[in-house]
Amino acid sequence: MATIDRAATGKPVAARHEPASLATALRRCAAFLRRNEPHLWTWGGRTAALVPLVALTLTVLVLTLKAWPAIKVNGAHFLVGSDWKPGNTYGATVHTDGVAHPLGSSYGAWPLIAGTLQSSVIAIVIAVPVSVGTAFALTERIPRWLAEILRSAIEILAGVPSVLIGLWGALTLGPLLANDVYPVIADHMPDIPVFSYFRGPTYHGEGLLTSGIVLALMIVPIIASTTRNLFAQVPPLPKEGGEALGMTDWEVGRRITIPWVRSGIIGATMLGLGRALGETIAVAMVSGSLLNTIAPNIYGTMGTIAAALVTQLDSAFTDGTGFEVRTLAELAVVLVGVLLVVNMLGRLIIRRTGHLDAPAGQGY
Amino acid sequence: MANDGEHQATSRPIIGTTDSRSEERIDPILAALDPDRERPEHVICSQSLTLSFGQKRILDSITIEFRRGSITALIGPTGCGKTTFLRTLNRMNDKIPGFRYSGDVTLEGESIWGPSQDLLDLRRRVGMLFQRPNPFPMSIRDNVVAGVKAHRIAKGKQLDVLAEERLRQVGLWEAVKDRLNDSPFRLSGGQQQLLCLARALAVGPEVLLLDEPTSALDPISTEYIEQLLRQLTPALTLIIVTHNLGQARRISHNTMFLYEGELVEHGPTEDVFERSREERTQVYVTGRMG
Repeated sequence: MATIDRAATGKPVAARHEPASLATALRRCAAFLRRNEPHLWTWGGRTAALVPLVALTLTVLVLTLKAWPAIKVNGAHFLVGSDWKPGNTYGATVHTDGVAHPLGSSYGAWPLIAGTLQSSVIAIVIAVPVSVGTAFALTERIPRWLAEILRSAIEILAGVPSVLIGLWGALTLGPLLANDVYPVIADHMPDIPVFSYFRGPTYHGEGLLTSGIVLALMIVPIIASTTRNLFAQVPPLPKEGGEALGMTDWEVGRRITIPWVRSGIIGATMLGLGRALGETIAVAMVSGSLLNTIAPNIYGTMGTIAAALVTQLDSAFTDGTGFEVRTLAELAVVLVGVLLVVNMLGRLIIRRTGHLDAPAGQGY
Repeated sequence: MANDGEHQATSRPIIGTTDSRSEERIDPILAALDPDRERPEHVICSQSLTLSFGQKRILDSITIEFRRGSITALIGPTGCGKTTFLRTLNRMNDKIPGFRYSGDVTLEGESIWGPSQDLLDLRRRVGMLFQRPNPFPMSIRDNVVAGVKAHRIAKGKQLDVLAEERLRQVGLWEAVKDRLNDSPFRLSGGQQQLLCLARALAVGPEVLLLDEPTSALDPISTEYIEQLLRQLTPALTLIIVTHNLGQARRISHNTMFLYEGELVEHGPTEDVFERSREERTQVYVTGRMG
């Protein structure tokens, strides 16, 4: 009835057709998109591909700009020096190269750089064999139903907040290791190079080895679940070929399964290493968080770049000249640099060893 | 080794039969030189082998003997248990869940499941070539000597010598001698399969199991490999699963026909194909059943 009334009043009937014309517009739009789909893919793809690069560049750029005055003043000393002196933040302000900073401030982050590398290397040395072994057991050794349960357990472990692991490390693991494990190791190490690094004193559980173990625990899930997925994709035929040749399971694993996904495992390790290098709060809780000390032995207290950033930020704001905050920004730039170098090394390794890799997706 | 094989191949008819073999054995000098003369005539014997995976029975009381130095073709429709039977001979089925067997399989008179039988050594003595080439992710040279290294048969410089010898034996040497350290995955399918054959031969097997070794290859590679297999006898005993009846007739001395897990007929290839005793065999070999 209403429509007839409206038609009678001479109002445009189009009003009634509005939903229809919206549908038409949508249809036209869809047709347009469909016609131009190749372009959409091209440009959408290009944009998506650029996002990570732009994000990384902007982050580094902003950090570098922020850190620039500190980079100028601290100079090369920042990379090789071993002191962390904010100077007298309530005293006189001096100027170096036109940059204001408190009197007596001097920053050398070498202990932090070394600590970062040391703890991450320990973590990788522990985590890679454990992860590869876990992945191997999950794909080859354990009944499927049990493997599924363990696999989800690993994935849950990957999601446990690092602050929880750090707390556990500081309250339980560290003291346990320091009381019952470290002394045993330390007492049995001969006093010869390399091994002497494992001799006492063993301190109280906060330090390099504890940090490495906690980091390893955090990156095992990453490496293990990635490696498990890689192993699951190794076709059965080459493995059977090895068995039929009279190889043991260990030989098949070492010579066929692992090399088959070699690049992938290196990639997963780099992912884990990236996490270990950047891990902050857990390390801050178990390392001792020192700023200017390289651990004298493997049990010694130390600090890492990421841990220093989080523990020092608060006090850095008390520096009225803002120089300490800028120095922390410089520290962050160094961390990014370490990550990039490590990443490139990983790529180099993959390129060096990759020429024997099985072609991806080879149909078996 | 390669020359040796060629000599034997030319001295023997291309379509071998057991008859032609026994004629050869009459030669007294050859018989005296035959290193196998003290050993049982049959390398592998299957004695009422019954095999099942869980509730599913795959093989039903199979009794057959494989004569030393012969090629036996294993034919039958898909799902008849050919591959299962073949894989049983070097115990590749043992790990499959629900695997059960009764009866026995003997290698040189000794049960392959016997307590004194070393599984790894059994697999060295009974080699295998698969349906598709399965090179390992290592260099071409390392592929050839992978088994040799595992069994610690040779080391150091000997490995290079051995790799060359085996690659020559399969006729791959000229093609790969300049890229021994390259990936095997860039070789053609036929070349990859030859590489796998060289790898299987390198550990010095007595028996070679072949599971449709040419089904993924082009006709020229197939013909080449068939020729090569003939040259491997009588030094080796070959058992070949094939869907290609022409191939079975071309290369085998004996043929066994499996149907639904049952050994329907076996005997000299010509007899099985031309004078089948069983209706089912006749239906299959004449192509009326796939």
